[in-house]
Amino acid sequence: MSYDEAELISRCQQGDQDALKEIFDRYQIKVYRIAYGVVRHREDALDIVQEVFIKLYRSIRNFKGKSNFYTYLYRMAMNTAIDHTRKREKIPPVSLDGEDAFQPAEDPEKGADRILLKKELEGELKAAMEKLPSDQKAVILLREVEGLSYQEIAEVTECSIGTVMSRLHYARKKLQEYLKDYVKPRD
Amino acid sequence: MKDSCSSVSELLEKYHDQEVTKQERSLVEDHLSECSACRVLATEMKELGSLLKAPVEEAAGKEDFYWVWQKVQREIQERPRLTWWESLRSRLGVSPLFRKKVWVPALTAAMLILSLIVVPALMRENTSPTKLSTVEYVESPDYNVMIYEEEKGNVTVIWLFDGPDQEAPTS
Repeated sequence: MSYDEAELISRCQQGDQDALKEIFDRYQIKVYRIAYGVVRHREDALDIVQEVFIKLYRSIRNFKGKSNFYTYLYRMAMNTAIDHTRKREKIPPVSLDGEDAFQPAEDPEKGADRILLKKELEGELKAAMEKLPSDQKAVILLREVEGLSYQEIAEVTECSIGTVMSRLHYARKKLQEYLKDYVKPRD
Repeated sequence: MKDSCSSVSELLEKYHDQEVTKQERSLVEDHLSECSACRVLATEMKELGSLLKAPVEEAAGKEDFYWVWQKVQREIQERPRLTWWESLRSRLGVSPLFRKKVWVPALTAAMLILSLIVVPALMRENTSPTKLSTVEYVESPDYNVMIYEEEKGNVTVIWLFDGPDQEAPTS
């Protein structure tokens, strides 16, 4: 069953929960990727997805269709994730061990060393991302994870393309410095 | 690094992000085929992109979203409308990025206006009685003269006293 997005949004604005479910199915992964990219914590990212779609349902009447729907939703996801991180910063950090840590899919071919390495990398990535200012974090994730163009990132983050490029440049520079052992090309 | 590296390095990020023109693309690709230093930079950028992307794609499953939707549905059925604060935030577009982008310059501008216009104006008002009026006292063998002038109101008051022995009036 396929609906035009504008019709879906219009139905959702009238309180149709089935329409929201279709929007949820279309965008759940994208919203999750943004959330996970910011918080790098599986359970927190899923909580953010939940919060975003509740917020969307309650505020979709304010969406006038002046911008693309996905930029509206991405902005909401990014802001919710950043807000979540700020709230989390006030709470003491929990250990990376246990179920909070990155959980790779079970694969008999992957050895214990590989899983350990991935866990270590995930920890390093999380630490590196936490060091970035939220505006730089937003652009690098929208570009590298979501594959948005400069123009689309500018719409989501409500700034100019020049600012997007500059934030991207600094974000990359910092991440390459923090993660230099992982990004160096193999000989 | 060669001289041409500096001009290509500016394009390298745009090339990686697929934001270059056809002409720029061939310029970068020609350069990369010859320059190992820039090839390293391009590879590092690519590695960073894969690093950021990979764990995100592996970290959630379909069953997770099933439960997330159940929670969304329960929540919107229990409380379908926004609270007044949520509604205000949503209408004004108040967001973490917005806060930083708008409130910081707005506050700076307000403080600048305050310091450039309002504060000097207040100071002028406070100091006006002394700055806008002058009092002179002139002594001579026959008369002593006291002159009071107010610039703004064009008021001039002149007191004449008979001689140096007489005391000046108190008002």
